[in-house]
Amino acid sequence: MTQSHRLPEGGIVDRSRPLRFSFDGAPYEGYAGDTLASALLANGVHLVGRSFKYHRPRGIATAGVEEPNALLQIDVGARTEPNVRASVFPLREGLVAASQNRWPSLSLDAGAVNDVASRLIPAGFYYKTFMWPATSKAWLRYEHVIRHAAGMGRSANAPDPDHYEHQHAHCDVMVIGAGPAGLAAARAAAMTGARVILCDEHPVFGGSLVGASAMVDDGPAAAWIDATTRELKGSSLVTLLLRTTAFGHYDDNLIGLIECVGEDSADGAPRERLWKVRAKSVVLASGAHERAIAYANNDLPGTLLAGAARTYIDRYAVRPGSRAVVFTNNDSAYAAALALQRAGVAVAAVIDPRPDAAIDGQWPREARAAGLPIVPGAAVARAHGRLRVRAVDVVPLSGGAGRRIECDVVCVSGGWNPAVHLFSQARGRLRYDAEHATFVPGSALSQMTPAGAANGRFGLAAALDDGHAAGIEAAYRAGFAAASAPQPPRAAAIATGALQPLWSVPTTRKGDKRFVDLQNDVTVADIALAAREGYRSVEHLKRYTTLGMGTDQGKLSNVVGLALLAEVTGRSIPEVGTTTFRPPYSPVTLGAIPGHATGKEMEPTRCTAMHDWHAERGARFVNTGLWKRPHSYPRAGESPDDAANREATNVRSRVGIVDVSTLGKIELQGNDVAEFLNRAYINRWDTLAVGRCRYGVMLRDDGMVLDDGTTSRLAPTHYLMTTTTVNAVKVMQHLQHLLQIDWPELEVFATSVTEQWAAAALSGPDARRVLAKIVDIDVSNGAFAFLAVRECRVSGANGEIPARVFRMSYSGELAFEIHVPADRGRAMWEAVIAAGEEFGIMPYGTEAMSTLRIEKGHVVIGPEADGRTTADDLGMGSLVNAAKWCIGKPMLARAALSAPDRWQLVGLTAQDGAIMPRGAKIVADPDHALPNPMLGHVTSWCWSPNLDAWIALALVANGRQRHGETLWAVSPLANAKVRVTVGPPCFIDPEGGRLRV
Amino acid sequence: MSDPTANVTDWTSVGRYGASPPGVMLAEATFTAAWNLQGDTSRAPFGGEANRLFDLALPTAPNTTARRAPLTALWLGPTSWLIVASEAHALTDFAAKRDALNAAGGALFDVTASSIGWSVGGPRAETVLAKSCPLDFHARSFADGVCAQSVLGHVNALYYRRNTELFTMLVARSYARGAWKTLCRSALQYGYDVLPPFAF
Repeated sequence: MTQSHRLPEGGIVDRSRPLRFSFDGAPYEGYAGDTLASALLANGVHLVGRSFKYHRPRGIATAGVEEPNALLQIDVGARTEPNVRASVFPLREGLVAASQNRWPSLSLDAGAVNDVASRLIPAGFYYKTFMWPATSKAWLRYEHVIRHAAGMGRSANAPDPDHYEHQHAHCDVMVIGAGPAGLAAARAAAMTGARVILCDEHPVFGGSLVGASAMVDDGPAAAWIDATTRELKGSSLVTLLLRTTAFGHYDDNLIGLIECVGEDSADGAPRERLWKVRAKSVVLASGAHERAIAYANNDLPGTLLAGAARTYIDRYAVRPGSRAVVFTNNDSAYAAALALQRAGVAVAAVIDPRPDAAIDGQWPREARAAGLPIVPGAAVARAHGRLRVRAVDVVPLSGGAGRRIECDVVCVSGGWNPAVHLFSQARGRLRYDAEHATFVPGSALSQMTPAGAANGRFGLAAALDDGHAAGIEAAYRAGFAAASAPQPPRAAAIATGALQPLWSVPTTRKGDKRFVDLQNDVTVADIALAAREGYRSVEHLKRYTTLGMGTDQGKLSNVVGLALLAEVTGRSIPEVGTTTFRPPYSPVTLGAIPGHATGKEMEPTRCTAMHDWHAERGARFVNTGLWKRPHSYPRAGESPDDAANREATNVRSRVGIVDVSTLGKIELQGNDVAEFLNRAYINRWDTLAVGRCRYGVMLRDDGMVLDDGTTSRLAPTHYLMTTTTVNAVKVMQHLQHLLQIDWPELEVFATSVTEQWAAAALSGPDARRVLAKIVDIDVSNGAFAFLAVRECRVSGANGEIPARVFRMSYSGELAFEIHVPADRGRAMWEAVIAAGEEFGIMPYGTEAMSTLRIEKGHVVIGPEADGRTTADDLGMGSLVNAAKWCIGKPMLARAALSAPDRWQLVGLTAQDGAIMPRGAKIVADPDHALPNPMLGHVTSWCWSPNLDAWIALALVANGRQRHGETLWAVSPLANAKVRVTVGPPCFIDPEGGRLRV
Repeated sequence: MSDPTANVTDWTSVGRYGASPPGVMLAEATFTAAWNLQGDTSRAPFGGEANRLFDLALPTAPNTTARRAPLTALWLGPTSWLIVASEAHALTDFAAKRDALNAAGGALFDVTASSIGWSVGGPRAETVLAKSCPLDFHARSFADGVCAQSVLGHVNALYYRRNTELFTMLVARSYARGAWKTLCRSALQYGYDVLPPFAF
């Protein structure tokens, strides 16, 4: 087919760029500048889908975002997208489109049986019909069938191959909509020197003026659009965004925009861009949506809104049919009738319910002069046809015989609804405007100025005037005023006759369907049924009938629906009111909302200075918080667990090195640091000498353990505190809170230096020999005792590195922690590795580190200190200094915290060579009847290569009195029960001789 | 969801990427020292001592900076500044200055290795920064010499407008890899040059 309905000239399509596409497998051709809908119409295709519930044949009804019918499945494979509105989707080369909700084919759809059986499935049927029989859970079976029958397209089941990005922006004046009002507003605002953003959902500027023959400033509208946009583009203070929909208004004038960047952009470009615009002031020039009139079979393909017909002719140079009937209750459709005639469509009749005398506006007069047959005081009562409208029955409203008029297109106009969505979202109140029979902005908002048709100011002259004034007002509210009042653009005003409200045309034939909401198959009868069943609130009506739901959110149907509800409930339209407008104004791709924050970028990743070294050595990484830490360094053919056991054994027998850069590090300075530490920690700090370190425990206010770590005194008034990796931020916040809120009188300053220092722990009997090779200080036991800190220089292949070396041990072996500025971390690490080679040094990961600390009975914040444990529970009660106050200490006096059945830290050794089950609980008798009294639980467990046994740390009731007892570790989940011996938590070198050598 | 740019790393090293002429210039901003200075300027003798030690009047208006090449003092909060030196001789004798400031009721922390610095310039710099940061970078609200702490995507960042043409920013070292990629990807729309490092 070759564009049988394309006009030889006119429109904004580029006839030099034909584009091939397919619809339901058939090949077609359109032009660049077409939407998918205009290209289909250019090929004479009206039938594009089946309706949601009744599977009735449906055509293209509109030329914009409000499209209820023409929802197509676009593309195949991973890029396929359902429910794409053909009326706004730009045509592109090779596009594959398909209709939805039909089987086996669009023209012969088995689901259409629903239409015949429609009396069985009225509005809300699923709330009632399928509840029977009440006892058999029948609903669960019905639901399966209904789910299968309902729904529209199919979503892709492969990952989205596209990506989406975010853009923040700020402006003084945000203008939404680039029709005549929006362009005039943007121009006026820009003249004041304000920063302006102008967006429009269409690919071209001009809105309703595009392709129209109107005159602005005594010239063709196209020339005015061109000159205005050129002027705006020339300003560095103006941002113009096409194919960009303002979908939501949020607090403080945050406007959400979605920009279609498109598939034809440069490689790697995002498919869509989500804009978050913070505007000082907003001009809402979003235009208006035309609405239909409900009559029998008003959903037949070939039925479209009169304004849409005009748009297809003017903008896309497409003739929507051969013989048209226009059905309107207002003047605007006469312009469409004239356009139809110009496009070579035979206008069989213009049906107008208004009396002849009332049809006297400028366009009706021009229509009369052009010889168009006008039928006053009449309405279209019924359309005929199967897959396309074939004829309509026209009846006089005064009664009497009707007549049938053959046609293949019906163009309907029931009036216009301002697109007040964002005004309502911004908490603006709406007012019913009886003259135009619609809701218009009814209150003034300080941050948003509606303009043009969105403000109920219809017609080009009013739109230009209103837009210009709104632009000046919005700029003024943002603090900008023009030096001299600029002239508004001018157009001739067109005299318009009054609209006569008409929501539906009465019918006497049972089974006639007069559709209000085409997308949800809601009819006039459904609204009457809902009212009869007591759903008198418009919100209830919406939920009961689904009126106004779906992708179009009732842009055509809402006002008609609530007017009909008013009629049947005997109330006025303002009494019934509108449903709440909520974002988004039109559908937003889900992927655009997270943008790039998906998959691996869902959260940021932190890498230590030695990360690449670990990766190059085949380290298997594990996430600790946001950090990547080496779990172990498996060699070829070695499992990660075997590697960890090898690494742990090597630390006890020779020497190992582990990256501990992730530990939280906080530096404290000031004259009151010791006093501050005394208050924050359970133990004493005023006795700590310069050059010494001490282990400390912090409590929460309720006495439970918050965090632990060491603090070192680097200089008289300069300390370094370390925290656990996971609590680094929490402890910093805790300290800042104490310093800023609780004790501002203390002269203490704190800063996080976690990022400043790369750190490695060198552990094992040979640690001193390795360290001695690379530092410029005496590291003998006499000169550098346990829990001392020294500043020195580490020398390696890449020169000397200033370092802080701490003699402290987590592994229980002779150990040193070496801290160097992070930019020298890898150089330090490589220097240690090189020096340790002759001693058999091995890097070790978090798994071996965990094994070593379990063997030593060192607690970890989380597993052991789980927020319910006191220092005493963990065996550190003696650290609580009796002579001083500290945070949490008063609460330790609670009787429950010294009860004899407190769970206390113990060590467990599995007997009989059994494997310690994960997450085991501790019981006295594994075969006790359920519920089996629980004595405690395992907190950490591992295979100990140094003890050749499975061991664990556990919290056990009165655990310290149970050393030597045999209990059971049971895991009902793993169906495991293991006999365990209870003992002290420290399995290796409890006297600490190894770490003090 | 997969992202065709997710695993791309070859557009983060020196070179030209995307459209030409490029709209953005990116480079590492090098510095020899960055010290966090803390104290209350309204309490003597801290303010005078700090100004004397660095020969610089500390900026006390929020989000402002003071520059005396090769030193820049950036306001971080009412009692906190970052002093950055782009030449090695400009900040020396840390321990002595720390002791002097401690004695004067203030504090001085060496955070030189904590951050990575980047320069972002070119006609599209403001727009590119605004892809991952909600601040308004337009010269009317982010004038020359202004600094502000905000985010770059998920990560904290300190932004500083050195002049009309050039922003400099600091990001914590451990996050820098991902943040740099975010910045490069943001710049791809307008095309960008990654230049060799130059001084803060």
